[in-house]
Amino acid sequence: MTQNLSIPLSDLQPGDQGEVIQVQAQGQIRQRLLEMGFIRGARLRVEKLAPLGDPMELVIKGYHLSLRRDESACILVHRVA
Amino acid sequence: MSLTIALAGNPNCGKTTLFNALTGARHHVGNWPGVTVERRSGAFEQDGLTLEVVDLPGTYSLAARSEDERVAAQFLASPEVDLVLNVLDASNLERNLYLSTQLLELGKPVAFVLNMVDDAENRGVHIDVAALETLLGGPVIPTVGNRAQGIPELKALLAVLARGESTRCRRITVDYGHDIEGELAKLETEICRDEKLEAAMPPRWLALQLLENNAEAKRRVAESHASEAISQQLTKSFAFLEPHLGADGATLIAERRYGFAHGLVKEVATAPDEGRTPTARLDAVLTHRWLGIPIFVGILALVYSVSFILGKIPQDWIAEGFKALSDFAGAHLPAGELTSLLVDGVIPGVSAVIVFVPVIMILMGCIAFLEDTGYMARAAFIMDRLMHVMGLHGKSFIPLIMGSGCNVPAIQAARTIESRQDRLITILVTPLVSCSARLQVYIVIAGTFFTPFKAALAIIAMHFLGLGLAVLMGRILRSALFAGPSSPFVMELPPYRLPVLKATLIHMWEKGSVFLTRAGTTIFAGATLIWFLSRYPGIANQEWTAQYQEQRQAVAALKLPGAEEEDRLRALQLAHESRIVNTSLAARLGQKASPLLRPILDPDHKRAEAWKDVIALTAGFVAKEIVVSTMAVIHQASDEPKPGERLSPLQVSLRDNSGLSPLTALAFMVFTLIYTPCLGTVAMIRREAGSWGWAGFTIAYGLVLGWGLAWITVAAGRALGFA
Repeated sequence: MTQNLSIPLSDLQPGDQGEVIQVQAQGQIRQRLLEMGFIRGARLRVEKLAPLGDPMELVIKGYHLSLRRDESACILVHRVA
Repeated sequence: MSLTIALAGNPNCGKTTLFNALTGARHHVGNWPGVTVERRSGAFEQDGLTLEVVDLPGTYSLAARSEDERVAAQFLASPEVDLVLNVLDASNLERNLYLSTQLLELGKPVAFVLNMVDDAENRGVHIDVAALETLLGGPVIPTVGNRAQGIPELKALLAVLARGESTRCRRITVDYGHDIEGELAKLETEICRDEKLEAAMPPRWLALQLLENNAEAKRRVAESHASEAISQQLTKSFAFLEPHLGADGATLIAERRYGFAHGLVKEVATAPDEGRTPTARLDAVLTHRWLGIPIFVGILALVYSVSFILGKIPQDWIAEGFKALSDFAGAHLPAGELTSLLVDGVIPGVSAVIVFVPVIMILMGCIAFLEDTGYMARAAFIMDRLMHVMGLHGKSFIPLIMGSGCNVPAIQAARTIESRQDRLITILVTPLVSCSARLQVYIVIAGTFFTPFKAALAIIAMHFLGLGLAVLMGRILRSALFAGPSSPFVMELPPYRLPVLKATLIHMWEKGSVFLTRAGTTIFAGATLIWFLSRYPGIANQEWTAQYQEQRQAVAALKLPGAEEEDRLRALQLAHESRIVNTSLAARLGQKASPLLRPILDPDHKRAEAWKDVIALTAGFVAKEIVVSTMAVIHQASDEPKPGERLSPLQVSLRDNSGLSPLTALAFMVFTLIYTPCLGTVAMIRREAGSWGWAGFTIAYGLVLGWGLAWITVAAGRALGFA
């Protein structure tokens, strides 16, 4: 059952898809991530990493967003095939 | 009768284009009170009504955390707003509707614009407008903002709504489910105990923000006499909801809002086509792992050359035009105080303001273009890693690089950075980046004291030193001023769009005119003050003026050939000016202040002329390149080399008489780099950072840092055995 293992979003590789389990950030960052669509069950796909390896580009709720590793590390997801 | 419409929407939803289409070119640009967020308002007439439109900053939410959101939330809640017009990006409907769920809670009529329907259609998204209208409970007008499609219908609708003749606004709100609604009702009851709180905004809206743990809402409640009852109820609500629904209030509310948006989109819109969008195809190249950076550097080089190489042409015309005007006035008006005020004060002052306009307009045009196409977000995406290490934001990169052309528009370019912290830090460190005006000083000094090869090395070193210091100060300021977590980097990469030329032109015009009106006065006042300091009391000395006139007449009487006469006259003028400047208030100040600079510019106490540096540096406050022309006057030697000679008379004089050694000359260059931003930059910092305090701070830290580094240069140089 590797599928249901919860991992930080920062562990997903370009091309991987995931489903949000929980936003672990606190305060301002948490609120912002929620507003941008990181709610339980939201589907996302990692598009690519920036040329220098950080931040990452992902697609959520049909739009493209970039997140630094600092932020993506506090979003728990599980991988979706 | 006049009514106010607030234009609200996400960033990149085409709000500003729509604003331009509604109001034409008649708008007013200012700042929102107390903050440096741009406030744009305009008006249009429809059916005999004047409708005032206020363009709010683009936000994803009204949670009032950033400056932009606070401004938007406060204005929307104020009684000034009669109608809210929510602009929705049809191709990104779900996320756009999140903000709508908040707008619907404000208790004001809300109308919707479904913008960029063409983009959505191209992606295969068809939207049932009638169904959307029913579900949102307000009129929806589809538009294509950049082609003014749907604008007449929108204007007509707004007039009808403004008159209150429409029954199409039904005030729908999101249903948060039985449990949350129950707690909301209880909180509302407690809130209504305080009439003032109840009147300020709809109690339900405040209750929602409390459940979301919103700091601003809590602060409001804390000021109320009912605060204890409200807080108790809030604690009870949290205690009930969290275990019951398995998440905290903020998560639950966001989930319900997205649930509403998701359901609505499913109902009214078809799913987008599979397959790569044009944006994805462009991004495959533009943010490519290997190609991304070279392309970015290429675009940056292009913007830089267009702004500072192309922009230099009109800049030179302006400078030459004013120089000619000043020469003409100087030659035809009798020598004296008023002439000097005009020739040395007013004309150069006005010139110092206007020369900036072309480069500001061009650079701002380029930046608006990059922003409107969507590339700016990619630039930040590419550079963020590097800038993050430096304690800055990806979007700080462009202002810093542009700073090496001219600091003034570079600081203005920092507007693109959303977070106030990141923007402020960028603004405060940009003056450390060596600009082209400082280059002119380096060329004269380095050319005098170093061999051409070493001079080039020294000049390059100055530029790296400036950038390095900007990075270092960025880190220091970040930890000193904004301790705590840095603002989150959660940045949308919007679809690429072709910008509307008219919008770019309007933007350029606004930036140019704002500079002239706001910063212009400061620069002009400063330039006049420096003129006063460097000319009085000598300029009022009648005897000197009379002597000068006599000498001129004597030369004229010799009837020398044209060129020789001109040379002699110029030498006389230089001698006369030199006499005035070297006995001026600035010179006295220089003599008083030179002990302060002695450790860096005169470590052996051997220089008789050290005080002259102070005059030149004081004058350089107006604009750095003036350091050179002032030196020419105080050393009474022209800064233009005679044909066939490498060094100008000024450089010869500096080498032979000033007492500067190669080492102190280098210290002089270091000090010139850092000691203070020029007046234009100071005026721009004052405007963009929003207070004189920050402008003063920049001058102060520049002086301290400049002195310190120049001292280190001298000390290290001497330790290594240089003189």
